[in-house]
Amino acid sequence: MDSVTATDPLSSALKIAGSGLDVQSTRLRIVSENIANAQSTGDTPGANPYRRKTVTFGSEVDRASGANIVKVKKLGYDKSNFTESYDPSNPAADTKGYVKMPNVNVLIEMADMREANRTYEANLQSVKQTRDLITTTLDLLKSSQ
Amino acid sequence: MEPIQLFSLASRQAEWLSLRQEVIAGNIANANTPKFMAKDITPFSAIMAAGQFGMARTNPNHLAASDLNTDLDVDVREAPLNGEIGVQVSGNSVALADEMTKMGEIQRQHSLNTNLVSSFNRMMLMTVKG
Repeated sequence: MDSVTATDPLSSALKIAGSGLDVQSTRLRIVSENIANAQSTGDTPGANPYRRKTVTFGSEVDRASGANIVKVKKLGYDKSNFTESYDPSNPAADTKGYVKMPNVNVLIEMADMREANRTYEANLQSVKQTRDLITTTLDLLKSSQ
Repeated sequence: MEPIQLFSLASRQAEWLSLRQEVIAGNIANANTPKFMAKDITPFSAIMAAGQFGMARTNPNHLAASDLNTDLDVDVREAPLNGEIGVQVSGNSVALADEMTKMGEIQRQHSLNTNLVSSFNRMMLMTVKG
């Protein structure tokens, strides 16, 4: 395959910013999964509760255009320990009455959500501006009398 | 008749601006990528000073000086670190505010460029039509 495809930099910029929007929305999805499951315990005695999910990004070359886009590299799990709370009436309580709670810290999730939001907006701004550059260039074709 | 330099100069600058826009968009997209270092391209003044002395690519299979798809002799390199933030714990050095400023610069220069071209074009038309 021809490695040099004729894509102009502005279309590449749009593609790159689009990939940025994509990964940040995946990140927001993971954050909401974590928050929604912040209290999800297991359903049998001593069972493990929900484990916090994490997302890692990586830079990658898009084969079609040769642009350096960003992709979700890995969806992983937070390996930190579960907290235990005493609640003998819970169906997931072990023989001593302790229930394992998910390792989700809502404050961390909130901070993550804010950051994802900021970066999403920055990418959106870059889409808008790239579109503006394309429009001003095309406007040169308008006949100016 | 003297060849008219302005259009070729303007188109070179426009090309350089769109390359820079691509690189800056990449920085913003990678604002949360671990170990990503912010990038920038050779300043336009350096390209003007160097003239067209880059190695010509007469075949698409030739290695390019950079992975940007262009005939201009530009180089992608790491941008100087932002003093306040520097490299973050994740090994990332993108400062979003800096990148937004650079995008603003690009926009301003690009609009100057296109306005100059269109007014020059108007002047030529005026001359030709009489």
